[in-house]
Parts: sequence; structure tokens; C-alpha cells
Amino acid sequence: MGRYLSIFLTFTRACLVRDMTFRTNFVIECLTSLGWMSMNLAFYLLVFQFTPEIGKGTGWTREPFFAFVATGLIINSIVQALFMPSAEELTEMVRTGGLDAVLVQPLDAQFLLSMHRVDFSSFANGLVGAGLLGWAVMRMDHAPPAAAWLLYPLLILCGVAILYSLVIMLAAATILLGRNQSLYDFWFYITNFSRYPAEIYAGPWGGLLRALCTFVIPILLVVNVPARVITQPLEGRGWALVGLAVGAALLALVVSRLVFQAALVKYRSASS
Amino acid sequence: MHNSHGGPASTDAVIEVEGLAKSYRVFDKPEGLRASLKALVHRPSRVVEALKGVSLTVGRGEFVALLGPNGAGKTTFLKLLSGIITPSRGTARVLGHVPWERADDFRRRFALVMGQRNQLWWDLPAAESFRLHREIYRIEPARFERTRDELVDLLGVRKLVLQPVRDLSLGERMKLELVAALLHEPEVLFLDEPTIGLDVVAQHALHRFLAHVQAERKMTIVLTTHYMKDVAALCRRAIVITGGSILYDGSLDQIVDRFTTHKIVTLDLDEAPDREEFARLGFPCEIRGPQVTLRIDRQRIADVLPEILRGRQVRDVSVEDVPLEEIVAELFRSGGTAAPREPAGAGA
Amino acid sequence: MSRAVTTPRFPGLRAWFTMLVICLEERLAYRGDFILGTAMRFLPIVTQVFLWTAVFAATTRTDIAGYSRTDIVAYYLLTMVTRAFSSMPGLSGGIARSVRDGSIKKYLVQPVDYVSFLLAARIAHKLVYYVVAVVPFAAVFFLCRGYFPSAPDAATIAAFLLALLLSFLLGFFLEATLGMLGFWFLEVSSIIFAYMLVQYLLSGHMFPLDMLAGVPTGLAGVSVADVVRWLPFEYTAYFPAAVWLGKIRGAELARALAIEAGWVVAMAVACRVAWWRGTRRYSAFGG
Repeated sequence: MGRYLSIFLTFTRACLVRDMTFRTNFVIECLTSLGWMSMNLAFYLLVFQFTPEIGKGTGWTREPFFAFVATGLIINSIVQALFMPSAEELTEMVRTGGLDAVLVQPLDAQFLLSMHRVDFSSFANGLVGAGLLGWAVMRMDHAPPAAAWLLYPLLILCGVAILYSLVIMLAAATILLGRNQSLYDFWFYITNFSRYPAEIYAGPWGGLLRALCTFVIPILLVVNVPARVITQPLEGRGWALVGLAVGAALLALVVSRLVFQAALVKYRSASS
Repeated sequence: MHNSHGGPASTDAVIEVEGLAKSYRVFDKPEGLRASLKALVHRPSRVVEALKGVSLTVGRGEFVALLGPNGAGKTTFLKLLSGIITPSRGTARVLGHVPWERADDFRRRFALVMGQRNQLWWDLPAAESFRLHREIYRIEPARFERTRDELVDLLGVRKLVLQPVRDLSLGERMKLELVAALLHEPEVLFLDEPTIGLDVVAQHALHRFLAHVQAERKMTIVLTTHYMKDVAALCRRAIVITGGSILYDGSLDQIVDRFTTHKIVTLDLDEAPDREEFARLGFPCEIRGPQVTLRIDRQRIADVLPEILRGRQVRDVSVEDVPLEEIVAELFRSGGTAAPREPAGAGA
Repeated sequence: MSRAVTTPRFPGLRAWFTMLVICLEERLAYRGDFILGTAMRFLPIVTQVFLWTAVFAATTRTDIAGYSRTDIVAYYLLTMVTRAFSSMPGLSGGIARSVRDGSIKKYLVQPVDYVSFLLAARIAHKLVYYVVAVVPFAAVFFLCRGYFPSAPDAATIAAFLLALLLSFLLGFFLEATLGMLGFWFLEVSSIIFAYMLVQYLLSGHMFPLDMLAGVPTGLAGVSVADVVRWLPFEYTAYFPAAVWLGKIRGAELARALAIEAGWVVAMAVACRVAWWRGTRRYSAFGG
């Protein structure tokens, strides 16, 4: 375990050195991701010009909703910073045979493939997210209890774990298929569902979608559960969701690991 | 290097391969609109046998060359031995491990270097990649430093270690790749086309280095290559693969003995040779200026040569084997139909 | 030499047809990716539909900026159609890349005009796209037919089609010009990204731009929507959709079409000038 930590730190160090060599690029990346985010925030502000709440009686008024958005920013920035760059590179590695070099090293391939790249500029959004969270929580009608503050980081981790598992599954698909541009689009479109409170998926179709995205691909648990814990009083239903999120995260990690291992056995390697 | 004539080392076997085969299913991409439409319903596919049951043994400290044309199965073979891919049939043991089980204990004891595939961090100095390597292979710091210094000095790349890899030439990069691969002092080294794209000077430097470390550390090396020069300089044992099967396994010298029926006789004459006269001798001949090249049956050379020399003003004469490149190229072309003079595969 | 290079020569019909067939084959080879990709592009709309439904559920209004709940759904679906015309995936990036890696050279020596060639290729590309994409589009529009008001009159449909056609040309020349900045800047990807950002917000891809009518710019009596009207972006998503929904009519419609046509001409000229000056610079400094 200690070895893996020190390897991870070596990766982190190298990526930091690299980012600092191309400082301009790094600044531009920070700015663009901040720009993208502020555009979305502007859109939500616009929406609240026309309504006091999203979904009648859901409790997602302006401040809680922005706490929700902030939670999403934090989780996504962690995933974007730690896992997405590596996963994106994997497609290239499978195409060019770079994966071969990984497989001969005495190290867990999943670890190496999902951690070898860290994108520091993505943390910018997370910092803004943390600030936004603070602002929103302070302006809310009720202050979150201490238990909520303790659960919140844990649930953030669960959200990250669920998204990470999804990335790993897609990585496994990349290894099996050799190429998969639309699978990464798939990631984008699927996680899109996690961007809004689960309550908006109302009606029979909404209910079906909500069930699918909770129990099959547990994408709705990613942001919703921590955001709910921090913005709404913890009662029976809230606790059930917490349990569900933790369970889903653990299960997702195990399943994605198995799928990934199976994909490595089937790996064909690019002909050189 | 301790065994006398290239054949399998008598000590312990490091690589044991038995009936190893790998086949792929490939999907044909049909050409033409009509065929593309048809492919919507049924995608034509076929099975390609990259390796068709290969058996061999390599002893500790051997330096073996794998020769073969493109697509012969050399790289597939190396990938199987490195555990990158899983075979369709057959067994293999490298250092006592089944490679595709990818045990850490196994992976710590060998290295794979692929020419033109960069394994070092592109934007950073190689020193950073070395540091990562130390972590991954759990190399003890003192030992790491000693090995690293020794290797960079041998290759004369000490100054390059601190430059970003992207600023280096291909040859310099290859040297650093080799350093990285050898940092954990592997017992077995697989080299896939290590000198591809390198100029003659860089090739030579790499050869000298490989020969040196191999002798020094009693490493077992398997090398695939296109360049005969690599082979002639380094390996005593050559394995020729074509179409996924072993065509020849033995010493390099014996390839010549076994697969050629001719020697090449070159005469330097004082005056322009008479084409008619040489043609009458009945050997394939080529005339360039005052120089005549004849391909003469090996067994008859002793009888024929005096006859040719008699009565001619010969400035110089040489009798040579057919160049290795040509023999192997001929082997590749014939794909095994060029009948060896003795059964192939027999030990030295 | 420069004369031969810059004489616009549209590829012959035969060459163009070959290009069309190759495009189609390529699509069919990767049909799985393609159909999946097209279908998935509707997914973000699903969340938008639910979001706006939730917004309307919580507010007492019956319309937002003139859009009823069903109007908004119809609007998002229609912007998908507009985007199918105006978006040019890979165009600017491709041009910039071929400048950077030097493969642009071959267009300097071949007897074909690069811009015309790109346009022809893009038309072929789009036509093939429509042939295959019509299936998922038709399915979605049929399922969502309840969201649409009754079909507009013939004149509106004609204006809609004209707006779509112009949006294709506008999208093409905008992105081609953007790609040609590669002659001047080594790394245009961040410029392209910044453009995408602005375009995403101001094209109406995110929400009907009428909602900006209430957002002041700071100038007396001028809203953000008033400014956006004069920019090219809204013509690549919002405008044709708004025309179909009858949000823009009469003199206002004519004026907007004129602005759109004006932008097409302006960008076509800009693209041509960028190509002339860019190639001149390129041949002067070498690649």
C-alpha cells in the first residue's frame, strides 16, 4: 500500500513539474474550465429569475440548489483531475500499444492506468465549488447539523468512487474494442443525468429513468446524496439514501474491477 | 557465452515454450458501397494464425535473435513471453512463471524494450521516469543509484538524463529507454526491433552496450530484428520464423552452411573481361567493368577455381559466402520451401 | 504561382460524388458508433425537458419569456435540427492541425482550391449524416409530436429552411476561419475552446435567447438579447428554431434573415482573406 502511495506521489510530482513547464497552457486550461463552469452558473441564475424553486415542494430553492451545484463541481473536479486524463490517454495507449509497457510492469494495471496522469487545472473548479458551497450553506434557512458535515466528505468519496467505476468500465470497453470515441461521449451524456436533483425526474417516464439511474447505473446517487445530506434535514429517507450510496459505491468498485480484469485477459495488443 | 557453439545452454532453461499458438479473429473491412451495406447484416471475419505452435528452449545467458519478415509472428511471440497477451494454445514458462499470469514476482525479473515506442515521460527529463521506475520495481536507493550511474556512463548519456525526453534524438532516447529497462537488473531482456530507425553509429553503440551488459550480467536476451548486422554482431543463435512457425533454429554460421549451395567468387581482371568466355563456364555471372562475379556450386569450387584462374591476368580474387541478408531474405521468400540441406532444428 | 493556388476551383461533380460515396462507406463502417452517438445526443435534452417541467411545476407562470412548457421542449428539439446543420465537428481543429503538421502543403500544389474542397467535403459529410441520422431524429420528433404547435404556414417553413441553409454556411465559414488562425498561432485549440464556450452560451443552445430580454446590459433600454441579435452566434442554433415556433415574424424576420446573410458573406470573405494571407505567410516562412 505504501509503495502505491509513493508511486502515486511520483506521478503527481511529475505531472506538477510538467504543468509548471507549460505554465501558459496550464493557466488557459484553468480559465477555460472556470469559464465553462461560470456559464452554467449563469444559466442557473437565469432559471431562478423565473421560478423560486425547481420542482414543487422539493426544497430545491436557490441556495440549496447552488449547494447541489457546488457538490457536483467538487465531485466532478476530483474525477476530472485524477481519473479522466488517464482514461482518455488509455484510448491512445490501446491504439498505439503503449498499454503493453504497462502490462509488463510489476504493478496493478488498473492502478497504473487510472492514476498515471493528474490534471491539476481541474482542481480549479473544485475550489470554486467549495467556495460556492460555503456561500450557499451560510445563506440557507437551516444550518446543517454536525452529523451532516461528517457524512458529507464520506458521501463525496462515494460519488467519486461511483464515477471512477464508470470510468474503469469504459476503459475496459476501450481495451476490448480497441477504439471507442462514442463511449467517452457516452460518459459525458450519462453523467449529464447526475447534474440535476433526482426530484426533477417526475412522472412515469421520469420515475423509470430515476429508477434506472439509481439502481442500474447509480449515477443519480453521485451528487444527490451528499447534496441532500448537507441541505436537508436527515430523516428516515435520507439515511436510506446514505446507505444506498455507500453500498452502490462498494459494489461499483468491485464490479468494475472484475470487468477490467476480464478485459485485460482478452487484450489483443496493437500489432506493431 | 559459456556454451561453445550457440546451441541451448546446458545449464538451466530460462525460457521453455511448447506448442505455443496465437490466433486472432479479424474483421475484414469490405470495400465498395455495396459490400459495406452487406456488412451491416454480416461482418465477414476470418481467423488469422499469428503463431502456429512454436516450441523451443532458451538457456540462461543465451543471446538469441528472432528473425523473420513483417507479420511472421516475432512480435506476437515476444508479447506472449512477456505476458501481454494470452495464447490460444500451448504452454510457456519464463523464469519458471507462466507469463500471462502476470505475477509481480515474474514481472520484476524481466524487461521488454520496444523500438520506437516511447516508455519515458515525454515532457520530462528521463531522471523522473527513472525515479518512477525505482518505485515501481522497489529498487533499493543505493543499488538504484549504482546501477543507474553505471548504465548511463556505459552509454555515455549522463548529461542527457536531465533534459526533457522530447528534446532528444531517437538514438539518445533509445539509449535512455535501455537504461530504464535495465535499472531493475532483469534476468531476461526482450528487445523488439531496438535499432529500428537508428543511424549506423547509434546502432553500433547499442550493440556494443548490449554485448557488454549481456556478458557482464549473464542476462538472457531475446531480440527481434530486421537488420542482419544486429544478429551478426551479437547473437550466436538465430531463430527464423516465417508464417508463424520456426523455420530454422541454430547457429548463425550454420544458416550459411545449411541454406546455401553456392559461394561467390569475385575476380578483378587487368583488362575488360570477355563476356562470351565467362558465360561458357556455365555459372551465373555478372560483369561490372573489370570485375566478374560468379556464383559457383560449393562442392565444385575446388575443381573449378584453378581452371578459371588459369591463363588470366587476375589482379585479385575472393571467395565469399552468400551474404547473410541474402540467405535470410531468400528463406523468408520461400517460406520454408527452400529445402535445407540437413533437417533443420538439429543441435549443433 | 499564387494565382494558380488561389483560383477557386470547386471539385468536379465526379470527384464530389466519389467523396460522397467514401463518406457513406466510412459511416457504415463505424455505424454502431454513429447510431449510438446520434441517439445519445438527445440525452441532454431529456434532462432539459425534466428540468423545465420541474421549473414550470414550481412557478405560477404559464409562460417564461413567451415560451410555454411545451414550447421549450419543442425549442430544444428544434435546436438539435439547427445544430445538425450548423455544427462542424473537427473542421477548425482539422485545418489547424494540417497547418501545424505541414500536410496543408498538398493543397498548395494540387489544382484544387482548399476552401472549396473543404466545403464540398463538408456537404458530402452532412448529406450522409442526414441519410443515417434521419432515423433517430424522426423517431424522437414523432414521439414528441405533442410538444409542437400546429405546423406553421408555408412562408414560415420557407424562412425556416432558408435560415437552416444559411446556418450551415455560417457555421462552415466561421469554423474554417477559426481554423485558419493556425497560420498565425501555433496552438489554436484554446481559441477554439473559447469560441465554443461563447457559442454555446450565445447560440441559444442552452436556453431560448428570449430569456435574455429581461437582462440589462447597463446601457439604458438595451438588453443582452438586443446585443446578441447582432452577433453571428444565435443564427447557428436559436434563430431557425424560433422561426419555426413563430417567435419571429414579419419585418423582424426579414431583418434577422438579412443579418444572418450578412454574416455569411462577411465570414466567407474573412475565410478567403485568412486563406490568402495565411498561405502567403506560410510560403514566406516555410512550414
